[in-house]
Amino acid sequence: MKDDEKEIKLVSLLAVRRSDAFWARQRAQIMAAATKKHGSARAWLLAPAAVAVAIMAIVLARGPRLPQMEEQQLVSTAFIESLDLLEDLDVLEVVPEREL
Amino acid sequence: MGTDNDIKPERVSDWNQESPLALLIVENQRLVYSLALRLTGNSAAADDITQETFISAWKHLKGFRGESSLKTWLLRIATNKVRSYWRWKKLRSWVGLGQKDDEENSPALEDILPDRPEDRPDQVALCADMERRVQAAINTLPPRQREVAVLRAQEFSMGEIAATLGMAEGTVKAHWFEARKRLEGLLGEYL
Repeated sequence: MKDDEKEIKLVSLLAVRRSDAFWARQRAQIMAAATKKHGSARAWLLAPAAVAVAIMAIVLARGPRLPQMEEQQLVSTAFIESLDLLEDLDVLEVVPEREL
Repeated sequence: MGTDNDIKPERVSDWNQESPLALLIVENQRLVYSLALRLTGNSAAADDITQETFISAWKHLKGFRGESSLKTWLLRIATNKVRSYWRWKKLRSWVGLGQKDDEENSPALEDILPDRPEDRPDQVALCADMERRVQAAINTLPPRQREVAVLRAQEFSMGEIAATLGMAEGTVKAHWFEARKRLEGLLGEYL
């Protein structure tokens, strides 16, 4: 078999095939979700925030809890304030700055 | 490809109703879902990522000026969401909350076969087996090779893949060469 033909066959094999009913159902779900909400509640979208929280928890648990209270408070406040932005992170990453 | 032939960014950015969103979904749904499914290997996650991609894109469409194609823009959003998903999975596994993907995250059999699977149970089983083996083969690829292979499976050109993933075209070709060699080895019986 020619190399090109083999590549075409491989590409075809890798393609995802689903029934028309599947696509229609998914379309309806997306439309319903889009009209219901503008934001997102998927937990994994907050992965960067969760990583920061986990690191902070470990640092707080292990480190000496002496005179660093003020600094920790500042970090926590800044972190909480940035949570609202995280929802849009995936889009912001791909939109050139001047388009925003 | 030409999945966004009928949707020009300048037109889309003016739309503000449900029907244009429906058109956007119809034109690009297969592309986004296929990418998400092949990169996560998890149909539930792929559904979520597809949904979130369209909602995010729709929300930010007015800011899209068409410097890249709409298709490329959508797939870059989807790819970023897939990367968030993997970060989340890694974190869960790191803190000991990870769970193995089980049968419930596999696609339903009736979804795999395009037409009337109830008439051909033997074909359903064959399709399901092939689907599992193809996905398993893709899962063995390193992340970058996997992204390139999945976009190639959408019949993207090397240039389009490079634009979507932000890589040099030469790098894309090298990744595809390696990915192809491995996939052909693993899936040789189907080729």
